[in-house]
Amino acid sequence: RLPLSSCVAGERLCSTEEATAGSGTYTRHGFIFSSLAGCLERKNEDNELPVVSVVRDSESQLLPNVGAVVTCKVCSINSRFAKVHILYVGSTPLKSTFRGTIRREDIRATEKDKVEVYKSFRPSDIVLAKVISLGDAQSNYLLSTAENELGVVVARSEAGVQMVPISWCEMQCPRTHTKEFRKVARVQPQFLQT
Amino acid sequence: RLSAGTAPQGRLLCGPGLRRSGAGLLVTKCGLLRHRPGGGGAYWVDSQQKRYVPVKGDHVIGIVTAKAGDVFRLDVGGSEPASLSYLAFEGATKRNRPNVQVGDLIYGQFVVANKDMEPEVVCIDSSGKSSGMGIIGQDGFLFKVSLGLIRKLLAPKCEIIQELSQLYPFELVLGMNGRIWVKAKTVQQTLIIVNILEACEYMTAEQRKQALAKLSGN
Repeated sequence: RLPLSSCVAGERLCSTEEATAGSGTYTRHGFIFSSLAGCLERKNEDNELPVVSVVRDSESQLLPNVGAVVTCKVCSINSRFAKVHILYVGSTPLKSTFRGTIRREDIRATEKDKVEVYKSFRPSDIVLAKVISLGDAQSNYLLSTAENELGVVVARSEAGVQMVPISWCEMQCPRTHTKEFRKVARVQPQFLQT
Repeated sequence: RLSAGTAPQGRLLCGPGLRRSGAGLLVTKCGLLRHRPGGGGAYWVDSQQKRYVPVKGDHVIGIVTAKAGDVFRLDVGGSEPASLSYLAFEGATKRNRPNVQVGDLIYGQFVVANKDMEPEVVCIDSSGKSSGMGIIGQDGFLFKVSLGLIRKLLAPKCEIIQELSQLYPFELVLGMNGRIWVKAKTVQQTLIIVNILEACEYMTAEQRKQALAKLSGN
């Protein structure tokens, strides 16, 4: 596949009958338009229509899609939501962190009214969350931890020691033996590295 | 590090200023180590401090600094101003708002107080009654003392307050953030009580009794 030419965002490339839309493009009114400014690439498939995609000169930034599981770090909490920095999408690290918000009603699936943000997350916790909305121009990504596999993975106690999970809602510090409340993620055994 | 001489029976209570570290206790504040032998025993460190750190459940005196929508901003002497909702008063509804102005004094307790979030104060207890909390009335005098003196004054049957009450009748509100509000019949009586309370920090019991005897003699 050879880079044919360069294009700008909004340029009409071809109609949907000639090719299918790939990354960096979108379809409107039966035509494929470019959404990025970069090099046009046409990949020829054997059975189906060729795939048209636009790539920028640098490596393409992996954007979190709706439904993707992301790893994030809590930066501040409030009585209504927690603000996080998104560090990884899946297993690929991001070059620049995105900002996300976990609302109080999205922390748990059950008993949403009785949730206290202070008993689920604390600043500097590492959390696995799922993207539920991309948000509009001004707002951040909206994330949710309302599943058993999502929630706090790594947390430090007030003594500064990494804590050990003891249940889905509590973690214990191995040095001071104090228990702290967190919304703990049940990580699948194949992902645990000991 | 502390090491226990003999193994105590029952549960040992680790109080403020101490932290459990592995097999022993670590001291985190400087002060006098106190011990109470009741139950399994309790150890804590009595430290002197002037800067107040908000703690959940503490009763404090706050000064209203701003009104932001449905919430008042209170200065409680901590690192952040605390928030007080207008519904957190006894008998307050959306139609029946409390009459709170900027500069008023509020006696309330913390319902949220930790290092990660903004502290919140309410003027009702868990059953919805005010139990002495709310807006502190007009006149009177507010001043600041160290936190150790407040704890001494709040101890049951405090001698200082008993001796002062024999001098003049007065109203007294003690806030755990180091603030005291006093009101007596005349301004002069109020100022005398304020001066005695401030000096109580450094006076021994003998000096205090002498000072009070001189005042009641005059």
